[in-house]
Amino acid sequence: MSAQEFLCTMIRTEGHECVQGSEASPAQMEEMFAKFNQWKETFEANLVDIGGRLGEGKRITPDGVLDGPFTEVKEILGGFMIISADSIEEAVAITQQCPPVAASGTRVDVRPIHRG
Amino acid sequence: MFDRSIVAETEGESSTGRVGDWFRHEYGRLVAMLCYRFGPQHLEDIEDAVMQALARQLAGSSSQNSSETLLPDDLSRWLYRVACNGFLDTARARKRHAEILEQQTVAWLPGMTEGMADLDHIVHQDPDPNFENELENGQLYMLFACCDARVPELSQLMLALNILCGFEVKDISQRLFLTTANVYKRLGRAKALLREVRFSPAALSTESYGKRLPQVLRILYLMFTEGHLSIRSEYSVRKDFCVDALQLTGMLCRHPVGKLPECFALMSLMCFQFARLDARNDADGGLLLLEEQDRRRWNRALIQQGMKWLADSASGEHFSRYHAEASIAAEHALAPSYEATRWDRIVKSYELLEASQPSAVHRLNRALALAEAEGPDKALILLNDLQPPGWLQASYMWSAVRADLLRRTGAREEAKRAGQAAMDLAPTDAIRQALARRLQVNR
Repeated sequence: MSAQEFLCTMIRTEGHECVQGSEASPAQMEEMFAKFNQWKETFEANLVDIGGRLGEGKRITPDGVLDGPFTEVKEILGGFMIISADSIEEAVAITQQCPPVAASGTRVDVRPIHRG
Repeated sequence: MFDRSIVAETEGESSTGRVGDWFRHEYGRLVAMLCYRFGPQHLEDIEDAVMQALARQLAGSSSQNSSETLLPDDLSRWLYRVACNGFLDTARARKRHAEILEQQTVAWLPGMTEGMADLDHIVHQDPDPNFENELENGQLYMLFACCDARVPELSQLMLALNILCGFEVKDISQRLFLTTANVYKRLGRAKALLREVRFSPAALSTESYGKRLPQVLRILYLMFTEGHLSIRSEYSVRKDFCVDALQLTGMLCRHPVGKLPECFALMSLMCFQFARLDARNDADGGLLLLEEQDRRRWNRALIQQGMKWLADSASGEHFSRYHAEASIAAEHALAPSYEATRWDRIVKSYELLEASQPSAVHRLNRALALAEAEGPDKALILLNDLQPPGWLQASYMWSAVRADLLRRTGAREEAKRAGQAAMDLAPTDAIRQALARRLQVNR
């Protein structure tokens, strides 16, 4: 079972041509990558330095599957936000005003980041 | 539970691979679809019915039955009808006929109205004219149903592997490095909970799906990681899991509930990682370091797919952990060589990953990238800042990274001690050998 053959049938994507034969040039690939990187840069600008000590994370299970536990930072449907506010009440209020959160109706956990 | 021995008996060991795969996928699709239509509370009967239908098909094909000449789509439909009838026969025998009838009036079946109380009418009405569509809806439903918060995460993964992917207990226990008794127990408990349905298509909405989506992504990621991970098994790669994860994630991304940036990012990540998988092993099945890998063996077409998904994922207000991991994988996939890799960009992505999901493992990886980008001294400083949790100190990874960095800064005695610790803790021979090469090479 050659890997190539198997993969082409599996990755059927709507809106993407399954290109078997016309390959993007390195330049085209870089172009696609550039679009992503430009978007990514907007988040880098807002990076808050997490210099605080990492807490012990939640272990998946003792006979577990993964490399290790991760501190519970809940994701907003896969995303995250780090904001600064004077109190947790203010942080919650700010979060609730954020359009994606308000629209999707998902639950958001607001957690303080401890330093020192 | 899908019984692989049936396949082996009638088809012979040599073709079990391809045929076995088809059967377990067909099993998964049919079970999912029947649960979608009649409810997971009937899981056990449904599993049996599907098994029997598949067995009949096998028996039929070996005696040149007419079903053998059916095209794949028609064959699926045929199997569906056989399984469906078999299930309803059992249900009638158990006198649960009335119970199912009652449920139908509660619009369990998508698109049904309260007037459709006649079970036979429901059964013989064609499913969605687009049968493929219905199959996909069924699988997606089952995927989301498996991600039940009452079920421990590892058991959720097992549910998905067993029901959706059709892996039997033996396969699951081998690949997850658990005893079959453990897997049976966990699956038994998980399925019992699944039968107490809390997640029905009737309640289906983007909102209810949306609540479970993060966990679904997590399980897909876990499934792929288990296939990709080389630590736990004697074989460096368990490709089946990767392939199934790719397939399910692709299905998710094509569906309205999954057309979201983080889903695309996960898909992109899987494409990149899978594209490079074959090159990780040398001719003897040992592990090759990244710098040792022959990049010509990377699947360029799949990398291109990954790049398209990545471009699609670049939208919205949130940069998820999957975005971060995908961007790191992308840098590696595009780099013409180890030396030409844009390590500075990788470092930035790890910073974003750490911000999104603080973890000692992420810090460790970031340190390695930082060592390439700015030198091992800076990387060591970064690690000194980290108080490693117990489980990490007990892992070879911690010692190995420190050994490597110390060696590169010239701290030879310390490097030697850390290196020895890493070798002692290495869980497989393949890893130990790769470590030996990396830690002893003079730069």
